[in-house]
Amino acid sequence: MNKRKKLDQDHVWGYLMVAPTIIGLIVLNVYPFIKTIVLSFSSMKVFGEYKFIGFRNYANMFSSEEFWRATWNTLLFCVLTVPIGVMLALIVAILLNSKIKGKVVFRAIFFLPMVVAPAAVAMVWKWMFNSDYGVINTIFHTKIDWITDPNVIIITVAIVAIWSALGYDAVLLLSGIQNISKTYYEAASLDGATKFQQFRYITMPMVSPTLFVVLILRLMSSLKVYDLIYMMVGESNPAMSKAQSLIYLFYRESFISGNRGYASAIVIWTVLLIGIITAIQFIGQKKWVNYEV
Amino acid sequence: MKRIGAVLLVGALSLFMIAGCGKKNEGENSSAAEKGGSLVFQIWDAGQKSGMEELAKAYMEEHPNVNIEVQASGWDEYWTKLEASAQSNTMPDIFWMHSNQMYKYADAGILADCTDIVDKDAFSEIALQNAEGSDGNLYGVPKDKDIICLAYNKEMFDEAGVAYPDEDWTWDDLTNASEQIYEKTGKYGYMAYAQDQIGYWNFVYQNGGQILNEDGTEAKFTDEATSEAIKFYVGLQQNDWCPTQNQFANTDATTLFFSEQGAMFYAGSWQLADACANYPELNGKWDVAVLPKCPNPVAGDGRASISNSVTYATAAKGKNKELAMDFLAYLGSEEGQKLQGETGVGIPAYNGMEETWANTFKENGYDIDASKVTDMFDYSVKYVNNPSRPIWEPKVEQTVLDMYAGTVSVDDGIQKMQDVVTAAIKDE
Amino acid sequence: MKRKKRTSAIGVYIALIIGSIIMIFPFIWMLLTAFKTNSEVMKVPPTILPSSWNLSAFTKVLDLLPFGNLYLNTVLLILIRVICAVVFCSMAGYAFAKLKFKGKNILFTIILVQQMIPAQIFIIPQYQMLAKLELTDTLFALVFPGIVSAFGAFFLRQTYMGIPDEIGEAAYLDGCNRWQTFIKVMLPLTKNSLAALSIFTAVFAYTDLMWPLVVNTNINHTTLSAGLSTLNGQFSTNYPVLMAGSLLAMLPMVILYLIFQKSFIEGIAMTGGK
Repeated sequence: MNKRKKLDQDHVWGYLMVAPTIIGLIVLNVYPFIKTIVLSFSSMKVFGEYKFIGFRNYANMFSSEEFWRATWNTLLFCVLTVPIGVMLALIVAILLNSKIKGKVVFRAIFFLPMVVAPAAVAMVWKWMFNSDYGVINTIFHTKIDWITDPNVIIITVAIVAIWSALGYDAVLLLSGIQNISKTYYEAASLDGATKFQQFRYITMPMVSPTLFVVLILRLMSSLKVYDLIYMMVGESNPAMSKAQSLIYLFYRESFISGNRGYASAIVIWTVLLIGIITAIQFIGQKKWVNYEV
Repeated sequence: MKRIGAVLLVGALSLFMIAGCGKKNEGENSSAAEKGGSLVFQIWDAGQKSGMEELAKAYMEEHPNVNIEVQASGWDEYWTKLEASAQSNTMPDIFWMHSNQMYKYADAGILADCTDIVDKDAFSEIALQNAEGSDGNLYGVPKDKDIICLAYNKEMFDEAGVAYPDEDWTWDDLTNASEQIYEKTGKYGYMAYAQDQIGYWNFVYQNGGQILNEDGTEAKFTDEATSEAIKFYVGLQQNDWCPTQNQFANTDATTLFFSEQGAMFYAGSWQLADACANYPELNGKWDVAVLPKCPNPVAGDGRASISNSVTYATAAKGKNKELAMDFLAYLGSEEGQKLQGETGVGIPAYNGMEETWANTFKENGYDIDASKVTDMFDYSVKYVNNPSRPIWEPKVEQTVLDMYAGTVSVDDGIQKMQDVVTAAIKDE
Repeated sequence: MKRKKRTSAIGVYIALIIGSIIMIFPFIWMLLTAFKTNSEVMKVPPTILPSSWNLSAFTKVLDLLPFGNLYLNTVLLILIRVICAVVFCSMAGYAFAKLKFKGKNILFTIILVQQMIPAQIFIIPQYQMLAKLELTDTLFALVFPGIVSAFGAFFLRQTYMGIPDEIGEAAYLDGCNRWQTFIKVMLPLTKNSLAALSIFTAVFAYTDLMWPLVVNTNINHTTLSAGLSTLNGQFSTNYPVLMAGSLLAMLPMVILYLIFQKSFIEGIAMTGGK
């Protein structure tokens, strides 16, 4: 009986507590998304009548070479940025959590890139990667066409992406690490555990739920990459087609060419792709994410 | 805690609704301007905000009951907002319309028909054409017109002992001068990059070719004159004196020119005032000239320069349409056009007012001969446009880049552009 | 043992200093750019130091933009969004992690799916909702898309998942109902995560460009970042002025971070666990 009562209470409070978020999301996000799904089955331009054309947009999309290349570019970008980016962020978070002097200063510095104007970020990186006058080729005595070589461009964008996300991810992971009670480490220390053992058996399992958030967040946002490519590569770049991501293609079709129907199909495909990859992560997490320690 | 959240939200809502109650709906009175009201005037270039404000001020002085607020935003957001507001019938009262977007908005019935308030004899034909919808009616009031010119570095010409470009210059002079400057000074000559309006279009029309036929219903890439000019333009890159497209992607031609790395590039007339203001220490070291002509055109006299224009517009179903139309009429009047030219923000679309704009350079102490730029309106060619342009333009642009990159031969590329544009016209 | 500690501390310093240089570089570059003239900025090959340290870019940007209004709007926007995020996301995160109710998984799917959808498709419909309510060019319009946060709900759900169930059970046995357990026992345990979420929300609100630019075109009703980007013309940009403006705009964010990160450190001592 007690159990029943508890469950009822769970029901009431559960719905009440998720209501603001869920209602907000339905109005702000779910509704536009459903509209997009509906649009993807139409030949809709920007203005004008809705005309149902079945799966024709999808058929056109799947037979387009440009589309498959964009899909490939997007996946490649994800593989290049996510593992390295998340790993670096974890290292930075651990370093920022260690007992050293000047921690406040270091934390502020790693936070800075988050609030630097995007125009400044793109400008400084483009300038650094400039193949003729850039500081990177000068320092390393290389002659790499960072932003125009079709085989390099995606790596260049990935480097900037990792750099820009590092601060965000480190802040999240740092909060996760700080949620861990010090008593665990004290006990482990007394038992003679090395730093590495402490990391392996205390920090890792306890920070794993947060690490999982960061991983999912990074996966999703790297599969949605657009701004960076827009700013770093530029439209008149011969290597553009090698760097074009799915959302870039969507943007071009939707806002430049005005093909709302076709562009919506690209969005639906992107969401499906992200959904599948995220689902795999959710299944995989059971192996390494540790809830309720 | 939840209650606090709700209170906060309601508070925030009601508090900030106050600011939203500025606009009022005016009655349908012919003397809308006398009754007064307030208008929002939306533009995409912050650099022209003060110029537009001067126009608004001049109008408000005559009509003290009217208040006009100029709002500037960036290019990308401008179009996002305009589209969203068009769909929900909440457009700004007056806004700029670019010829790229004109057909989209005019043909969907979103823009007010301004045929009756424009004095057609007073405006250049190109400016009027850019304000037309597919049905030939005017869906706005011409604002300004632009044109392409040749900018050159005088010091480099002097150093190489080459005479400055003049009216008699041809494509051959352009390449010869580039060659000599590169040999004597080590600087780039004419910097030709993958661009249509500021690039190959000019060469195509000088050679007597076309991109589209007159009424925009047929692609003309494979015509002899067109393909010949495209081959010539793309071929310029083979010369040592021209940077590669990869180099342009790293550093654009404008930057190279004003960093004194190259002697010549084609500039849009709209770039000149900014360039003068931004590079004061180069004042006197560079100048502008008319575009070199084609020496042996397939047809015509070898002269052409691409001209585009911006249009002022208002919504067909706008709440303040009456008043907005009255202000539009002022913007298109001789007085409004003259004032615009004097603020230096653009060459007035009004005939015979070119020098108001050209004079602003000397008045501001900038040592360039802008009258050379306005001279070219005698043979200017309308910016290439048709209703299906948004569809074919990105694909053509990509093909041009592919031709430069060598992944497509120039001949195949021209054929591809022809096919892409033909298909887009057919779909429309 | 002591010696080993010292060498490892040196290693940490070296790693952090190298990292700091990479992270801070664009910031330094912004600072230098703000003092240059526009032609110095565009110079190829580039110069590092400005030829003279002139403040004209700063005076010009103060002249061009109503900084007082922009600061106020940005601070209010951040404040309201952070409050909303903390309140609504905590509630949702706790419910998803610790309560059992029908349809929980379906509702949680909405949270996840929202994050998969590219934000570009939201702008036009959201603008139209506000336009129909005649609420554009208001502070509410700025706040609107960020009233709720799917990311925040997901992030806090993960945080609550990491808190042992026994803590909640104990409170329940003490006679607390679900709400009291949440407010009195669980919420305080997530202080660090709330600080991180606040920073995140603030940074997102601060850096969001497209939305404020589309919804509030009146310069007096928009945010710092959006105001700054109106300095970008269609064809040209005055970089020193833009950078000077960006530096002035960054100040409140850096101050805010320093305040929050202090609560980070205090949070360590507070953290519960077993």
